[in-house]
Amino acid sequence: MQVRKNNYTVNMTPTMQVLTENQIEAIYYAALAVLSETGVRVYDKEGWDLAHQGGAVVEDVQADSALVKMPSWMVDKARATLPQRIRVIGTPDGDGKRKYNMDLYKNTMYFGTGSDTPFTIDPYTQVRRRATYKDVRNLAKLAEALPNVDFFMSLGITQDTAVGTYDRWQYLAMLEATNKPINITAVDIEGLKDQLEMAYIRLGGKEEWKKAPCFSLYNEPVSPLSHSEEVIQKLLFCADNDIPIVYTPCPLAGATAPATLAGLMVQALTESLFGIVLSQLRKPGCQVIIGGLMSAMDMQTAVYPYGSPEMALLSAGYTEITKWMRVPEYETAGCSDAKCFDEQACMEAAINISTAAMIGGNMIHDIGYIEQGLCSSPHMLVASDEIISRTKRILRGIPVNADTQALDVLDQVGPGGHFLGHDHTYNRFKTENWRSALTDRQVYADWETSGCKDYQQRVQERMVEILEADAAPLLEPKMYQELRRICELADARHKDEELDVQMFV
Amino acid sequence: MSKLLEKMSTAILEGEAEKMPNLVKKALAEGTSAKEVLENGLLVGMQEVGVRFRAGDMFVPEVLMSAEAMQAAMVVLRPELAASGHKQIGKVVLGTVKGDLHDIGKNLVGMMCEGAGFEVVDIGFNVEPENFIEAIKNHQPEVIGMSAMLTTTMRAMGHTIKAIEEAGLRDRVKIMVGGAPVDAEFAKRIGADGYGSNAPAGAELAQKFVGAA
Repeated sequence: MQVRKNNYTVNMTPTMQVLTENQIEAIYYAALAVLSETGVRVYDKEGWDLAHQGGAVVEDVQADSALVKMPSWMVDKARATLPQRIRVIGTPDGDGKRKYNMDLYKNTMYFGTGSDTPFTIDPYTQVRRRATYKDVRNLAKLAEALPNVDFFMSLGITQDTAVGTYDRWQYLAMLEATNKPINITAVDIEGLKDQLEMAYIRLGGKEEWKKAPCFSLYNEPVSPLSHSEEVIQKLLFCADNDIPIVYTPCPLAGATAPATLAGLMVQALTESLFGIVLSQLRKPGCQVIIGGLMSAMDMQTAVYPYGSPEMALLSAGYTEITKWMRVPEYETAGCSDAKCFDEQACMEAAINISTAAMIGGNMIHDIGYIEQGLCSSPHMLVASDEIISRTKRILRGIPVNADTQALDVLDQVGPGGHFLGHDHTYNRFKTENWRSALTDRQVYADWETSGCKDYQQRVQERMVEILEADAAPLLEPKMYQELRRICELADARHKDEELDVQMFV
Repeated sequence: MSKLLEKMSTAILEGEAEKMPNLVKKALAEGTSAKEVLENGLLVGMQEVGVRFRAGDMFVPEVLMSAEAMQAAMVVLRPELAASGHKQIGKVVLGTVKGDLHDIGKNLVGMMCEGAGFEVVDIGFNVEPENFIEAIKNHQPEVIGMSAMLTTTMRAMGHTIKAIEEAGLRDRVKIMVGGAPVDAEFAKRIGADGYGSNAPAGAELAQKFVGAA
C-alpha cells in the first residue's frame, strides 16, 4: 500500500498567524509612504547630513533638528546590505569557551529579560525599593541559572552608583554573574565606549569581538517619528564598531501613535526603517535588530500597559512583518502591569509568552518586568522561565508517524491491558511529557503534608535556592580589577559634575 | 446658576470647544461678570470632569476635549478677566527637562492646570536649566513643573533645581516633578516641593501650592 505524503512532514511546530501576507505588504508599503512623504524628525546634524548625502530630502531645518524624507529606493538599497542573520555570543567560561550562542535569524527564538527598571522587589523582604548593584548581580545570577533565559538585560538600574556613569557599573554587575549574551543600555556615547572597552578586556581582545560580539545595544527612537541626537550618535558609533543595534521604538496607540493597531505598526516600522537606512548609509552590513515594544495607552491611568492583550498581539503582528522582511527582531513578553508577583502577573506573562512563542520572535525581551516596566521581580523571572519551558513543550507539537502512532505497542497491549510496564512507555515518557519542580500536581493530602505551599511560596524557595547556591566567580580577581578600573576611571572623569549628587539611594 | 452658565459647564463636560466662544460672549452680553462666567460656569464643568475622571467614568481623550473647550472659552474670557482686574489663581511654567523629548505627560498636566484655573506657560521639551531660570524671571510663576520620562534624564531635574537655587530663585517658586520613573522619594531627594503621580494629581498639587485647594 502506498500512502500519499507519507514522507511529507507538515506543521512540526504549532503556530499562529496574526496577519496575512497581503496585510504585511500593505503595512510595509504604507511605512515606505510615511518615510518618503511625512518624513521623520532628526535631532542630529550628522544624522540628517548623512541621510541627505544618501539621497534623502532634508526640509525644515531648525537649530536642533530637521525633517528627513527618504525615497523608497533608499530602503531597498539599505535592505540589500542589511544582515539577515546576527550572532551575539556570551562571554567565555573558565575553560575559555563561549557557550551561550544567540543566532538570530528568521526562525530562531531566544528569551531574555528587560532592562533599567528604577525599582525592584527585594528577594527576601519582597518589598519594592530602588534597585542597586547587588540586585543587578543577583538577577543576573538567576538568569545564568535559569535554562530558558537566553540573554540578559540589567533588570534594575544600579542606583547606588554614580548617576552619570551607572551604565558601566551595571555592565560590571552583569559580567560578575552571567556569561550569557547581554543587551546593554548606555547613558551616552562615552558610556558605550567604556562598555565596549570592558567587553574587549573580558573577551581577550578586539579580534574575539569581531568573531562575534558579546553584547548588543538597546537604542530607542522617540515616537512618533523622532530620532534624538543621543539615539543617532549611538547608532553611528555602533555602525563604526560592529556593535549590533537593537533599534526599537516604543509607540503607544492613542498617545504617541494612531489609536488603531495597524496605524501603530505602520508608524513603528517607519521608525525602524529610518534606523535601518541610516545604519547602512554609515556602514553597509551594520547589524540592526528591529523591534520591539508596542501597546495601547490605558485611557484611565495614562500608563503604558505591558501586560495587555494589545501588547502581545502587536508584538506578534510585528514579528510577522520582520520575518517577511528577513530582519532579526526584538519582541516583548514575560511582563505585566501587576504591582507584585501575583495572579495577574502570572496570567499576563503566561499569555504574552505563549503568544510570542507561537509566533516565534527572535529576541524576546522583558522577562521579569512588573509594574509597566518600572519594577523588576526576581519571582517573575523564575516563574517566566517555567512558563517558557511549558510553552516550548507545546511548540514541540505532536509528531505523527508510524513510530509515534505505536500500532505495534497497541497491538501488543491490546484491549483491557495497560501501558505502564511497556518498554515503549519507559523509553518515551521522559521526553514526551513536560515536568517542572515548580508546578504542583500532588494529591491534596500529600500537598498538605508537604507544607501547603502555593505557587508564590514555591517560586520564592526556588529563587532563594539559586541565589544562595555556591557558584564559582565568573571573573578572575585580576579580570574583575581591570573591568572595575574602567568604571572607576569613568567616575574620576565625571567627579566634578554630579558624583556628589546621590539622587537615588 | 443661570441657564447659560449651566449650558457652559455642560459644554465643557462634553468637550464642545466650538460652542464655547459664543456661550461666553452671550453670557457677558447678558451682563454676567467675567469672574462669574469663570467660577460658576467653566470651572464647575472642569471640576465635574475631574470628579468623573477620578471615578473612572471619563477617559483621557475625553478629558482633553474638555480641556480644549476650556481653552476655547478662555480665549474670549481672558481679556475680560484682565480688564476687570480678576487674577487667575496662579501661573505655572511647565517643561520636560534637558535631554528628554517626551512631552505628552507634561501637556496633560498643562491642560489639567488650565482647567483648574491656572495660566500655563509651556516652555517645551529638552529644556536647559537656564531656560527654566529665564522663564521664572520673565513669567514670575508661582509654580514650576518638570517632567522626565527616562531614567537617564530624571537626574536633569536635580540639576535644574540646583541651577534655580544657584540663581537665587528657589524661594520664589514651588517646584513639582513627575514622569514615569519618578516617585515622591526621588522628588524629596532632589529638593522638589512635590510629586504628582498623574496629570490630575499634578494640577491638584499646583492648586495646593497657591492655596487654592
